[in-house]
This record gives sequence, structure tokens and C-alpha cells, in this order.
Amino acid sequence: MSNLLNLTVPQIVTGIKNMDFSAEEYVSQVLAKIRKVDLEINAYITLNERALEAAASIDKRIRMGENVGSLAGVSVGIKDNICTKGLKTTCASKMLEDYVPPYDATVVERLKNNDAILIGKLNLDEFAMGSTTEYSVFGPTHNPWNIEYVAGGSSGGSAASVAALECAVSLGSDTGGSIRCPASFCSVVGLKPTYGRVSRFGLVSYANSLEQIGPIGKNVSDVVMVMNAIAGSDEKDHTTGPLGAEPKYSLKSGQNLRVGLIKKVTEEADPDVSKCIYDAMELFANSGCKCEEISLASSLQYALSSYYTIAMAEASSNLSRYDNVRYGFDMSPDGYEWNTYFMKVRSNFGEEVKRRIIVGSYVLSSAYYGKYYLKAQKVRSMLIEEFKLLFKKFDVLVSPTMPILPFKIGEKISDPLKIYQIDVNTVVANLTGMPAISVPAGFSNGLPIGLQLMADILQEQKLFDAAALFEEKLHPPAGSLK
Amino acid sequence: MSNAIKIGLEIHCQLTGLQSKLFCSCSADYRGKLPNENICPICYGLPGTLPLLNQKAVEFAGMISIALDCLIPAQTMFYRKNYFYLDLPKNFQLTQYDTYGKSSIGSGGKLYYGSKTIRIRRVQLEEDPGRLIYEEGNTQANLYTLIDYNRSGVALVEIVTEPDFEDPKDARTFLNKIGSIVEHLGVCDTKLEGAIRCDANISIDEGKRVEIKNVGSFRELERALSYEITRQKSMSLRSIEIKGETRHWDDSRKVTKKSRTKEEEQDYRYLPEADIPTVIFEREFLLSLKAKMPELPYDRKTRFISSYQLSEHVAQVLIDKKELADFFESAIKVYSSAKEIANWIVNDLMWHMDDAGDGRSLFANLKIEPNHIAKLAKMVDQNIISRNTAKTILSQIIRTGEDPSNVAEKNKVSKIDDKIVISTAIERVFDSEKTAVDDAKMNPNATNYLLGKVMQLTGGRADPGIASQLIKKRLNQSE
Amino acid sequence: MIDTDLIKHLGFLCRLELTDSEISKYISQIEEILAYLDTLDSLTLSHVEPVRSETSLAVLRKDNAKAFEGDVSEVAKNKKDGFIKGPRMA
Repeated sequence: MSNLLNLTVPQIVTGIKNMDFSAEEYVSQVLAKIRKVDLEINAYITLNERALEAAASIDKRIRMGENVGSLAGVSVGIKDNICTKGLKTTCASKMLEDYVPPYDATVVERLKNNDAILIGKLNLDEFAMGSTTEYSVFGPTHNPWNIEYVAGGSSGGSAASVAALECAVSLGSDTGGSIRCPASFCSVVGLKPTYGRVSRFGLVSYANSLEQIGPIGKNVSDVVMVMNAIAGSDEKDHTTGPLGAEPKYSLKSGQNLRVGLIKKVTEEADPDVSKCIYDAMELFANSGCKCEEISLASSLQYALSSYYTIAMAEASSNLSRYDNVRYGFDMSPDGYEWNTYFMKVRSNFGEEVKRRIIVGSYVLSSAYYGKYYLKAQKVRSMLIEEFKLLFKKFDVLVSPTMPILPFKIGEKISDPLKIYQIDVNTVVANLTGMPAISVPAGFSNGLPIGLQLMADILQEQKLFDAAALFEEKLHPPAGSLK
Repeated sequence: MSNAIKIGLEIHCQLTGLQSKLFCSCSADYRGKLPNENICPICYGLPGTLPLLNQKAVEFAGMISIALDCLIPAQTMFYRKNYFYLDLPKNFQLTQYDTYGKSSIGSGGKLYYGSKTIRIRRVQLEEDPGRLIYEEGNTQANLYTLIDYNRSGVALVEIVTEPDFEDPKDARTFLNKIGSIVEHLGVCDTKLEGAIRCDANISIDEGKRVEIKNVGSFRELERALSYEITRQKSMSLRSIEIKGETRHWDDSRKVTKKSRTKEEEQDYRYLPEADIPTVIFEREFLLSLKAKMPELPYDRKTRFISSYQLSEHVAQVLIDKKELADFFESAIKVYSSAKEIANWIVNDLMWHMDDAGDGRSLFANLKIEPNHIAKLAKMVDQNIISRNTAKTILSQIIRTGEDPSNVAEKNKVSKIDDKIVISTAIERVFDSEKTAVDDAKMNPNATNYLLGKVMQLTGGRADPGIASQLIKKRLNQSE
Repeated sequence: MIDTDLIKHLGFLCRLELTDSEISKYISQIEEILAYLDTLDSLTLSHVEPVRSETSLAVLRKDNAKAFEGDVSEVAKNKKDGFIKGPRMA
């Protein structure tokens, strides 16, 4: 069967179930694609040697007339900070370069229960700290649209692999924009769910009050399919609590949506990006949506500082456990005094990680707790209140996902603060817990532009409705790589 | 200038009454297991794991708070205490902290004893770390440290008092009371090794506070505090400055030594634990908890006094160790002479017990059961044996665990010189041998017949001299 | 004041061994970052509660012991007689 790699997830599932083609044939094509392009793109860190075997076993069950899961045969890549039992999970760090988890993350378990095929582990910024995937110990992931450019981060591998057809869908994690940024830069759909909507059990913590695992796909329907498999409360994660009835999302184009455009960040973006977003608003208006421009209160200017205060503080604590004693790389402790051993071992963190740990410890020290961390937590409360009011009037809020176009690898890496600032549009969703999605909106000189939609807590369906509508109406369509 | 002594206690009580650890489903019972056999990804600190708070642990901690008359807040939450140490799998400890806002499960409580009131600053939940093992003792010769994480994550309740103690003896008495309370609540079995530990802080004359750690038992704590008072007083007499520091108790040398790990200089960078949402208590929670409270030592004592007419002293001794009070109540189910049994326990049985105190059962080397004491008391009450004989029998029962009547039987081969026992035998003979009695009254030589009968009745064991004397006396009485 | 001593102290608190060149690089970068975070200073938020998520007692884990199926300490590279081997204390 000819190129299966452009099929949507529903098409893959139906095709395999109907035996139009086999899962094995499909996965073979995926693996062939990886062999062809990944040396250049560098999306994958580790491949699952048993992927074909798993695919073959699905085919066998189908031939025997057995029921198979909702994602049977679908190729999935998993960001390498999500634990996979028996398969190396490195977080793109020397600290965990050999680490093989003895358990699966809940999301991985749920994907397996739905018969998805795990293709491999995807590249990221070390411990998910970064916005370009340049901080990976395995080298940066390259943007499939132009390999001299960054793929975004920290889930660079997750977005690039989907864009380059190296898997149908992937899982990433989003702490301050780490799914949406690479999704925008790689012209794919990426969702950060409501905080607590998807289990974090098995997600290696970076900033645990902010982060969520989320799906990335070529289109909205694929993302919806994955969400239906992975979302829902988990007894292994207290923060997923009883959030109400277990979700079942549907794919439909939204009708009569009330859409608000966040004016300031749109105006201040790169001109090509601005234009693209204004065009998008026109599209919504022409599709029967009620559109309006809004100004956010001044509290938004504190969003970035609040985000980095909290993220770095939590990171400094979450990364304390890496002392190479209970797991890690080969370095015998014999003869070392313990503080010396710890310091030596932890010098294997990358520069960005070390920087965040130090700043994080500083803001948590008792003299400064009130000045930074406590204040940042209060800013979050204020933002939550503000957006609650906004969402009484609007179904979704629109902005560019990234204020700029993708840039060349190495261009911003020497100035960490410059990289922090590109998160300006994305961090607010993490601070408030709101769901947010990035959808492809166009190109500028071949470089992708993403549209960000935000909705109220637990209103992912509204995001899907608006995104599906946009996807349907967008002409020309954003397009994907062959 | 008075030498005002201020002692405060920090008591760590393992919730041995739980089935599982505080944040994971590993067994709470880690003792006697092979190293690193009682662990899971969560308590071992593997990447990607999240703490899962034990519901019952919160209830138990709430019960302790109620027993100590604490205020229970409307919600409780957890903080990370960040510091590096080999026994901490995450290099932070999950605990509770009040500086940035009340998060502990209990605060502002008090406990009375005698005429004193000790204020409880707070009651909080936290996790136990793992254990470090040194092969050659803690010397420089070690190339490495061995670590066992079986205990890591076990639930602890920390009880912190205000520095209201003035006398090390009082501190020890208080600790025993806390022990009795947590035993009666069923949350902690203080007889298990390491189940209840205590650190202390002490200052003299408004001086700097010294923390004392590494105390292995309540008895050691009393010693350590007494030593510290002496040390500080003598330093002050010589005008040497007392540093505010942490000192470790060395029980082999009976001294406190300055601690080498600079714990007091740490900035713990406390941080709310985001993986455990704030637990909101509904009103029903507090009410249901209060309804669930078992009988506390103080109330049990009151009941012993009113229901069984025990003296205050005897009742107090019994409830100070739950084992004793339980033993007593089991015994009186068999034979209801409460006062008798209580006295047997307090005056006689306890004499045989080791005062090793904390960490071991009082009944550790004793084979006696509650029904034994009950039977013994009954036999004495019914004059079957004398009190002295009973005491002897008691020692044997303790050693062998045999039934009192069996022991008494065996003892029948030994001589009876107990006047009461002999008199009883004499009464029975007089009852059944009325003709012989009349004869004996007439003829003093006929008493031999009666003596013979008494000897027969006592299996030949009665002391003939005493028996004769008593027979003569008895004959004279019936004139 | 962000100076070498402070960075060294923070480095030790976090058990990070920093070279001299790393320290001087970090000083300027961290100063910049903190200046950025300092914007929070201009806010007076005494009337605002910090954000928190909430749960009820009923949702917490029930107290049942269940052993983990699998060998957790297998991931440790240095063991002796079942114990995890770590560096020496002092």
C-alpha cells in the first residue's frame, strides 16, 4: 500500500481494522521514514525495538476476530521525560543517560491499553527546561520545514516527528508552552490540557504545579482521539482529583462561538505573525462567530516573571533527587565524601538546568520567599479571577502562539533571558491551569506560524470546536510535509 | 538570678497502626525485612513518581491532635523541607510547616499531668527517612555508606511542645504519658523498636537554646537532659558562653557532644507540595473523628476509680502502660474482685517486670496470663491458699506459664506451715470427727487421733508441731 | 547583591560544583534574571490568597498495603548485600 503516513488517526484505525493494510505494513513505513530523515531531524533518542512485533500482534488479533483498542496500530512517539517501562528514559540528560524505568507512566499504560504502537522516545530540552530543544545532551532537534531552524521546545522532538511523518501522533509535556511552542514552529496541532485533566504519574517533574502531558498531531481529529485515550482522573495522581464525568471529546466544527482576540500581544508580535492572526480572526468572523478585541488587565505583564519564579523554584526542588545514588550513570561512590560525590555527580547537569536550580534556590530561601515565590503564587490567583470573568463573555481567546517566527539554531542560545521572553503568550495558560491549543495558521517564507486558542478550565471541547472550525475553513490549508 | 531551666520536646511517633506508608502502599511494617525489600518507585524516589496521601494517616493524626486538645484547622497541606542527605530518597522531606501559614494538623494544644500543664505547639504529619548503616561503626575507615530504604516513607506524627518543662524527670513522665495516649488511640505500638523517638531542646537562664538529638530511649533522654543542665551550669559559673547548637547524646560515654553535621545552618527552602492538594476538612470529619475516639488514659483512670473503687495511685499505675490496664481488665472478666487483682498487679506482678521501659513489652520475659492472676486472687479469697503461698506460686507461674491450680498441686509435696491453711484443715476435721473431738476434750492424749486426721487431710504435709498447737487451741475454744 | 560568595553558597546548597568561569558567567545572567523577577516587587498583594488546588479527605488513598510488583532497586548501579551503596558520611 502506498504512502500511509499522511493518513489521519481515524483513517489508520479503520484501515487496519478493515484489513485494508496491516499494522505491520504501516509501522514498517513509519520506521523506514525514520531511517530516512531522522539523522537530519534528530527527533528520536531511542527507538522501541519491539514496535513491529507489537504491530504484528495487533494484526493477529484482528485476523482472529478479537476486539482491539481505539488506537489500534497507531504509531505514537513519547517525549523522553515520560517513563516507559523497560525502555530507556533519559530526559535528554547525562544524569539519566542509562535509566530504564521499572514502570509505565499512566498515559503510556492507557495508550498501550488502546493498542497504540510505541515507536520510540523523543528529544527534548534537558529535563524539559527550554524553548528550542537546543539544551538536549543529544543535540538539537531540527525543524522539518527548514532544518537550519529550531523546532521549538521543550517538546521539539514530539512536534518535529509528527510534522516529519515519523509518527502519527506524539505526547509532549507543557510547563510554560513546551507543547504549543514546538507545535507552532513545526506547523502541527498541540494541546496543553487543563491542569489535572491528564495524569502526571510517570512524567518526570520539572515544575509540578504548572505542567501537563498533552497530545500533538497533524490535525485536530488526531489530537481528539489521543485525548480520549489518555485523559481522565488517575488514582496515582492526586491532582487529577474527581474532576467530574470522565471526558469524551468529539470532533465537530464549532457554531456561533464567541471569540476574543488578545490585542496587545497580537500587535506586538512579528508583523507576519500579526497579519496571520488578524486573518484568522476574519475567518472566524466570516464563519458566524462573534468576534471582539480585548485588552487584558495589567496583571498580564507579571505573568512571565511569575512563571519563571515558580518554575525555577519548583525545578530546584524537583531535581534534588538526582544524586546518582539510587539510579543514574556509572560512577562508584567508593572513597568519596558524600557532599563531594553529590557535587561532582550533579556537575553533569547542563548549563540551563544548573542556572534554573540556582535561581530557584535563591527565590525559595527564607529571606526571599515572600518577595518572589509567594507573590508569584498570588499573581496566579489574580490571573485566574481575571480570566474567569473573561470566559463569561467568551468561549475562546485568540493570540499568536509565538510572538516570533522560528529562528536559526544557535541564534539565541547565548542569551537565556531572550529565550525566556518568547514564552510570553503561552505561560498564562500554565499559571491559571486553563487549557490551550496551538493550530497551524500559515507560513512566512516557509516558516510556520501558529494560532493559540485558550478556553476556560475543563473546556477542552470548546477548544476543539474552534480549532476544528478554523482547520476546516483555512485556505489554503496549512499543509504538511510529504 | 535564678537558673530558670526551659526544656521543650520534639516527639516523633511512628503510626505503626497503619497498614501502609504515608505516601505509598508499601507496608508500614518494615522491621525484620531484607534490605530494600519494602520499597516501591514512590518511596524510593524514582523520577516521575507522585506522593499519594494515606487517608487513615490523616485521621490518626487528627485523633492525636484531639487527644492533645489541639485546634484542628479547616484544612491541612504539605511542604517540602529541602536538604541533601543519603537517607532521603528525594533529598527533601515531605512534612508540614506553619511559618508561611498554618498547615499542620493540630496546634495550640495542652496536656495536663498532676498540677502541671504542658502546652503543645503543634502536631504534624511527616515521612520517616531510610536508614544508614556503617560497616565499621561510624569511622573514617569506611569507604562507603550502606543504605536501606525500607523505612523510607513510613508515617510519623511529630509532636512539638513549648519549652514548659523545668525538670528532666517531668520530661520523662510526660513522654510516658504520650506513649500511653498513642497506645490507647491504637495509632502507635510503642513497644516496637524505634516507634517513638524524642529530641529535646534546653536553655538555661534565658540563654541560647541547645538541641539534643540521638537519644535512644526516654531513660536516656532524662540522662542527657540532666547532663546538659550540669554542663551548661558549670560553663556559666566559669562565665563561658553557651553556644546555640545541636549536640548528640553519646550513651556509652554518657555525654553530649557537638554535632558534626551543621543542621542548624541549613536554609531548608520550604516549598508547598503541589502534588498533594490542600485537604479540606468537612465539618462532619471533626465530629466523626471525635465520635471515633477510643477511651483515653485519663478517662480510663476515672472509670477505674469510680467503677472498681481503685485508689488514684493504683489506677494511675495501671493506665500509664496500656498493656497493664488491658491485662487488668482481662483478668477481672474471669474473676471480678477488681481491687484484689489490681493490687496483685501493682504490688506483686510489677515487681517481676523489667523497667527497660520504652521499646519493649513489660511482659517480655513473663509467661503469665490474665486468667492466672484472676485464679490466684480467687484462691486466696477462698482461703484455699494463703497469701504468702500465692506469692510463691506467682513467681513460678511467671516463669512457667502454668495454671495456678497445677502449681499449687505440685507445691503440695512441700511442707505446709501456713497457720491459716492448717486451721482450715483442722476445722474440717472437727466438723467430721465430732466424737473424736469430744474424746479429745476429755483426754488430752486423744488429740493424736485428730492430729492424724489433719495430717491425712493435708497429704502429710502439715507441720505437726504447729498443727498440734492449733488443735489444742481449738479444743480450748470450744469449752 | 549577587556575588561570588552568594553563588558559591547557593551552589553548595544545591550540591552543584561550579567552576570559576561558570560562576562569573552565572553572576551576570542571574542578576539579569532576578532583575526581571524583581518586577513582582512593585505589586502589593496583601489582599490576595496564593493559588492552591483543593481536595477532600474522601478522595485520598485508602490504607491498604500492596507490594510493588517488580524490583525497584535493580536500577541502582552500586549495591552490596541488598543495600544501596552510597558515598561515606564525613
